[in-house]
Amino acid sequence: MYSNLIITGVYLVLMFAAGLFFSKNIKNTSDYFLAARSAPWFWIMGSIWATNIGFLHGYLAHGGAAYEWGLIQANFEWFQGPFGYIISGIFFIAFYWRAGIYTVPQFLERRYGSALSTIYSFAWLIIFVVTIAAELYLGGMFLKNILGIPFWPTVFVLTAVVGTYTLMGGLGAAIMMEFVQFIIMMLGTMPLLFILLNMVGGFTGLKNVLLTQWGISSQYFTVLPDIHHPYGPGPWIILGQCFVVTLGWCAGHQSMVQRNLGARSIYDAKLGYVVASIPKTLGAFLYIVPMVIAPVIFSQFGIFVEKSDAAYGKLIINLLPQGMLGLFIAGLLSAGLSSISSVLNSSSTMVIKDFYERFFVKGKSDHHYFIAGRVATFSIIAVSLLLVPVVLKVYLIMWLEQTLIAMVLGPFMGILMLAIFWKRANKPGSLAGFLTGGAFAIFLQQVMGVKIFFQISWWSFVVTLAVTIVVTLLTKPPSREKIEGLIWESDFKAKLGEVVDHRAEHNGSRVTGVPVLVLHKPAWYLNLKYWATAILLIQIVLLFFFG
Amino acid sequence: MKKYVVVSAGLLFLFMVQAARGQEKFIDVRQNMADNLTAVKTAVKAADWAGALEKFRTARQIWDADVKPIITEGVKSDTQFQEYFDRIVEVEAGLDTVGRLLESRNGAEVEAKINAVIWGISHHPRGFKVPNPKYTVWDWIFGLGIGLGFCVFATFFGLHLRRSYYRRYKKS
Repeated sequence: MYSNLIITGVYLVLMFAAGLFFSKNIKNTSDYFLAARSAPWFWIMGSIWATNIGFLHGYLAHGGAAYEWGLIQANFEWFQGPFGYIISGIFFIAFYWRAGIYTVPQFLERRYGSALSTIYSFAWLIIFVVTIAAELYLGGMFLKNILGIPFWPTVFVLTAVVGTYTLMGGLGAAIMMEFVQFIIMMLGTMPLLFILLNMVGGFTGLKNVLLTQWGISSQYFTVLPDIHHPYGPGPWIILGQCFVVTLGWCAGHQSMVQRNLGARSIYDAKLGYVVASIPKTLGAFLYIVPMVIAPVIFSQFGIFVEKSDAAYGKLIINLLPQGMLGLFIAGLLSAGLSSISSVLNSSSTMVIKDFYERFFVKGKSDHHYFIAGRVATFSIIAVSLLLVPVVLKVYLIMWLEQTLIAMVLGPFMGILMLAIFWKRANKPGSLAGFLTGGAFAIFLQQVMGVKIFFQISWWSFVVTLAVTIVVTLLTKPPSREKIEGLIWESDFKAKLGEVVDHRAEHNGSRVTGVPVLVLHKPAWYLNLKYWATAILLIQIVLLFFFG
Repeated sequence: MKKYVVVSAGLLFLFMVQAARGQEKFIDVRQNMADNLTAVKTAVKAADWAGALEKFRTARQIWDADVKPIITEGVKSDTQFQEYFDRIVEVEAGLDTVGRLLESRNGAEVEAKINAVIWGISHHPRGFKVPNPKYTVWDWIFGLGIGLGFCVFATFFGLHLRRSYYRRYKKS
């Protein structure tokens, strides 16, 4: 028991100290919000995965949903996640990167004007605050169950540690810490799968207990169930989740995108995103498959589990030996802290860049906005802390968060697709489409009683597309100069000079001319196409076995 | 002004904590019952029958005084309690059996019966109640429509993007 407490304590102190150490290199807003655009592809890869996988979207709530509904939850890891990473990495990130922006709403502002980007930022800020509150709640519950320490003091300690290193070190500290945390998560939590499979006699033994002895439907053991499934009908998973929510998440979630914007080159940004699909795929073996095995273990060994979100913690505390448990706790804390820090950093970036700098205090020095960023970070984590008791009452946190996201991402994907691939798309059309799509999502959920968020996201996406196209055709097209560099048919070579100047201005350095464009062909083992093809083939194999 | 904001936030926080306590109580009492039942298993393994009976009586008392009333009251207003309500008979039968086995000092079946009771007060996956897969003609049309539709769309859209790209940047 004490060994676990000591390992956890040492880990938290190290994270705290590392955050303070990295803060020495932070001098301006570019350092703070975009890590001085210096991260190589492998940092981006680790950081993206660690950002994506936390208590909420990984081990505890996501794993909890796997306990609740079975292997269906692996669809997030096994085809739609990699699909979203690859498509976003190849298409969308390049546009953001070339535009030299800090936030996704900045891209929307340049393409469609400030009204839409403000609404979008505001919606995401709400989601971010709920996400941080949910992560803190899950972290507190996890440590309460594992180490027996009280819930609220634990939540305050977690808040203090993650708040300090994010507040002091900005994106640079977050990315470096996330890379280290990515390694700890992988090494620390993978052994559980083998221990569990050994206990139930492998996949064959597991299927034998669940399907034959207990007589449970085979849908508990499939990634794509039939259309009547109450949680995730297969076709709707593909339509609403894969094509809309996941793609929108990967292309529109500020935390995911911001890591790419901190890359040292476009190629690093793209490759980092594509290769992050590999740990994403492996993630299912870390927290989905173990949770499908969990009911068998709980019933056979008489382990009490109060709710699905707590199942993962209960599993490891009852099965793992003391030394390994300590390492495991460090791995899980890594997951939680990395997600909280990335969302925290991203939300403070949005508060400063999309609200404070634009509407409230214009034209101040870079140092002013840098300090304001730290104040924003502190304020956001304080508000999230206030929301923790509300989250405590929500039965399945994953459901709440996914529903909120479905309402925003459906309309967002509609206008983003049109923004890049349809040069005619304009400001009135996109605003009307986004608002109608969002309102339609709320109508579907609140009035029509649609509970499956994949369906909500799909139909709000379709309505957004239709309304945007109709209103756009009825109004004036945007001027060519305004959309240059923001659409697929832009002349990016001509645009390069402007982008370099813009970046130089924000980095606080002077660039007098456009640098000579030198294209380096990457080594064959870093070729984006090979990696993308291999990863997609792996998804097909997994679907063949578990679909 | 700042003072009022801080005080209001503090009061709001305390109110929310209070509201969340009800949920925690149902978790805590079941955990307490499960801990006592687990202690029964340990005592039986050590042939400490008196200790086992004492722990069992505590567990039974927690069930009768706390867990069962929360379930029977809760089910009237909250569907979350339905699964526990449905298993009340099963749990009580299990507790009766364990009581009889302990009194007759028959340790052979105790562990399995206690495990079943603990599993009975635990949260069960909702996926267990999902019916077997059923594929109608419309399911096949819908599924194949999405699959083939995406392939056709991806092919034509990909070709369009490729063509427009090479129109701007000649192959070299």
